[in-house]
Amino acid sequence: MFKSGNNTQEFINGFKEVVPLAIGAGIYGLAFGLLAAQAHMDELQVGIMGTTVFAGASQIIAVERIVSGGGALVAIIAGAALNLRLLLITASIRDVYAGRPFWQVVLGAHLTTDENWALMLSARAEGRSVGYWYLVGAGLMMLLVWLMATIAGVTFATAIPDPRALGTDFAFTAAFIAIARSLWTCHWDFIPWVTSFVVVALLILPGFVDGSWAMIAGGVAGATLAGLRRNG
Amino acid sequence: MDDIWLVILGLAAATFSIRMAGAMLGARLPQSGAWARILQSLPGCLIVALVSVSLLSGGPNEWIAGAIAAAVAILSRSLLATMVIGITAIWFLRHFVVF
Repeated sequence: MFKSGNNTQEFINGFKEVVPLAIGAGIYGLAFGLLAAQAHMDELQVGIMGTTVFAGASQIIAVERIVSGGGALVAIIAGAALNLRLLLITASIRDVYAGRPFWQVVLGAHLTTDENWALMLSARAEGRSVGYWYLVGAGLMMLLVWLMATIAGVTFATAIPDPRALGTDFAFTAAFIAIARSLWTCHWDFIPWVTSFVVVALLILPGFVDGSWAMIAGGVAGATLAGLRRNG
Repeated sequence: MDDIWLVILGLAAATFSIRMAGAMLGARLPQSGAWARILQSLPGCLIVALVSVSLLSGGPNEWIAGAIAAAVAILSRSLLATMVIGITAIWFLRHFVVF
């Protein structure tokens, strides 16, 4: 590891390097905008929701609950349940927030998403000493693209094609396959990773639980196995 | 109409609390031993779980495209190449191959 470079450069690197992932999220943003139009949301509501919630999948599921007539409480619970994984995500990069002023912890935690979290870990796996400002720079780019895409989606709702028809709904999966590859360090990862996969498969294939719970259970099961193992 | 503002407020508060709780909890857990090893292994396992959920929620088209994307990722180590070839593969499978 090198000595960490200056904060501005790290911020700019994060801001730039997250662009492919941000475009992937932007495609979901357009889809969210379409849904928001069905819920009769306006641009202001979409912008405020994107800025304050800033968690795409949970926004989609919450607004989908409203559209299907589920009511506000069900919408909030469904969205929050989907976001429980963010607790594990912020906990797993505790060193990033450590020793920072409270406002920086608040800013960094709020700007942490699946994408910039994974990108930062991937950069570290390549041996680069990136941290807080890289995460925040990438998070800010994610926020800007997310706002542009969701507001464009609600504004031009009638003119936007279905992401599935273009195959772009697969962008997220493909991106995370690439990131998993970059996080692979040694054969010690093998058994925990297989455990995570098997737990997810056992929960999701018979339809016991929905995807977000399966992900949490699979991630925790693999990591716990790795943690309890000697010399792991 | 009021429902929308209520959901925005409720979900924003819940999501912010979850993110902060993780940052606070992480800081309070021990720096060594089993807990530290669990937190260290968590990112990789979570990403594998995330990919597993999205592939297993799909069908054979998604599984094949996922295998192709994994092969590209292993050989190229490139995020962009994996995304472009993965999307191309799923588009091709959905349009020209019937499962």
